Amino acid sequence: MQLLANALIAGSLAALIAGGLALVYGTLGVFNLALGQMVLIGGYVTWWFHQSLGLPLAVSIIGGIAVGSIVSWLTFEIFVDPFYKRHRFLPLVTTIALSMILDAIILLLFEERPKSIWPEQKNMFDVMGVRIGQEHILLILITFLLLITFAYIMHSTSFGRKIRAVVQDDHAAMSVGIRAYAMHRLIFVMSGMLATCGGIFIGIDQNLTPVLAFPITIKAYAAVIAGGRGNFWGAIICAYLIALLEQFAVGVKWFGAFYIPAGYQQSVALVFIIFFLLYKPTGLFAGRARIS
Amino acid sequence: MKKLISFLSLSAIALSACTKPAGDGDPIKIGLITPLTGDVASLGNDIMHGAKLKMEEINAAGGINGRPIELILEDGRCAGPDAVGAAQKLVNIDKVVAIHGAGCSGESMASAPIANAAKVVMMSPSSSSPDLTEAGEYFFRTYPNDALKTSAMARFFEQKGYNKIAIIGENTDFCEAFRASLKADVGENKVVFDEAVVPDTKDFRTLMTRLKEVDFDVLVTNAQTPPVGAAMLNHMREQGIEQLAIGQDVMDTAAVIELAPDASEGLHVINVQTIGDDTEFGKKFTAKFGKPQANMAWAAYGYDTLGVLAQGIGSAGTEDPALKDYFNSMKKYKGVVGDISFDENGDVKGVSYALKEAKGGEFVKISDVVVD
Repeated sequence: MQLLANALIAGSLAALIAGGLALVYGTLGVFNLALGQMVLIGGYVTWWFHQSLGLPLAVSIIGGIAVGSIVSWLTFEIFVDPFYKRHRFLPLVTTIALSMILDAIILLLFEERPKSIWPEQKNMFDVMGVRIGQEHILLILITFLLLITFAYIMHSTSFGRKIRAVVQDDHAAMSVGIRAYAMHRLIFVMSGMLATCGGIFIGIDQNLTPVLAFPITIKAYAAVIAGGRGNFWGAIICAYLIALLEQFAVGVKWFGAFYIPAGYQQSVALVFIIFFLLYKPTGLFAGRARIS
Repeated sequence: MKKLISFLSLSAIALSACTKPAGDGDPIKIGLITPLTGDVASLGNDIMHGAKLKMEEINAAGGINGRPIELILEDGRCAGPDAVGAAQKLVNIDKVVAIHGAGCSGESMASAPIANAAKVVMMSPSSSSPDLTEAGEYFFRTYPNDALKTSAMARFFEQKGYNKIAIIGENTDFCEAFRASLKADVGENKVVFDEAVVPDTKDFRTLMTRLKEVDFDVLVTNAQTPPVGAAMLNHMREQGIEQLAIGQDVMDTAAVIELAPDASEGLHVINVQTIGDDTEFGKKFTAKFGKPQANMAWAAYGYDTLGVLAQGIGSAGTEDPALKDYFNSMKKYKGVVGDISFDENGDVKGVSYALKEAKGGEFVKISDVVVD
């Protein structure tokens, strides 16, 4: 049970970022390798509002998300919009450049010292043999709420249908009166917002360091690819699944005989994903996604 | 045409000024490799500032035999490949006479072969991996070997009657060497829990869940960087594990307390002696660079290491075997951290440890720890 709770905490974080990635990569087909930096910006800005300016946590979080959204909007305008229409691999290059620029800016503004938005001990309590903090439960619930809202919008509203229509064919969508380019912009900013939330999550649950960005991005890609490209639900479920596998890899006595060394925690989960993809190369949930 | 000729001859004169042969007033170039960015940057910056302070003092006093010191800073990012690139550049392009560094043990392990091949003295102020004892005849360190620290830690466990030891660490050069050395010192059979995670892991919940089921006396938090160590402490206390946590040098920084103010309370560390802000060195340093980012001791080691290098260059010159031989047979150098000299492997002698405890937001010394 405790392992499940641990996986829920780790998985919620992974799911937020994978969700952000699923939006840009999954629906728009654009690679955004600066997403990890977006995560950091969200976390650091919130830290700055909360710990340096002394604003209440809620206000700081809103501020963090706002700044994150603005940065991702600017990213779209400057680094993605002029390029991705020509070839969908071009943003791969421009966003790598952006990620380096942002890394440098983060170092410059926030220095190299690690930061924590919430360094104090969480309010822990026991429930059904599980030890968990109130803050963790809040984080998990908010993540659920956010993701479900997003997924619902994407899959079950007319607005979501418009977005998916745009993704399939810009011109056809425009011919029926959908403002395709505005939709692209919106998707991109929404993905930035989710990533920002991920950063705030890290800042509250753990601590922020400037070197964090790249590994986060890679893990999110694994979840999105395993979940099946273009499937928002799939990416999120896979993010939780990877987290669960990671916790079980080191937390369970396998065959009652041995523990897998913690050094292999991440590899075990990813190897599992690779084997799964060998059987189903389109991803775990690709089949169930609605095509049109 | 005349104008052109005069312009050309003028620029020729200007250019020839650039290639003037090395003279007496030329700076003595010393490279410095340490993590200036990344998770351990706070440590690296303290070392770098300490070295800069020494450089300014030496230069203000007229330099080494009339020649000023010039430090060439390179960021090793606590990673072998970066340190190798930095060492190559320092040796081949800058042609430094000695290297102050590297910082992390992983950096030193990777870059020492380059210094050995180029016959350039390399002196680390902070690398403590026992493996570095065999890093070659051009590698020295003013910072004590971890093997000494693990034997001191083992003795502490014995005094306290701790017979069941748990170790959680990262699988980096430094942590793995520390772990192996500690296991050898306390005895393999006393280690009841032993795990090493991928570097930069910050999710220790599941390991702590397992640890909670284990009957143990003390947890050794063998982290490579303060943020990871802080996460370890946070997750340990979150799970309600009450046993003592003890750490090595990495944990002995303000950053750990800052990132885990509650969970770090009561944390023990065995590390080199603290250099207080109110000591003579502490005052000098704070006046120039403000509070240290990690720990004043790092600044002192950075400061002393450049002092030792400068004394060697001043006495033995910059030529190859003379400088290396000087350090091998050096009598005590009176530094801030202790009376430094080297054994036949280039490991420091004459520096002692202290046992400290985190109390109310700072580390307080409990006792001195004798080093064999």
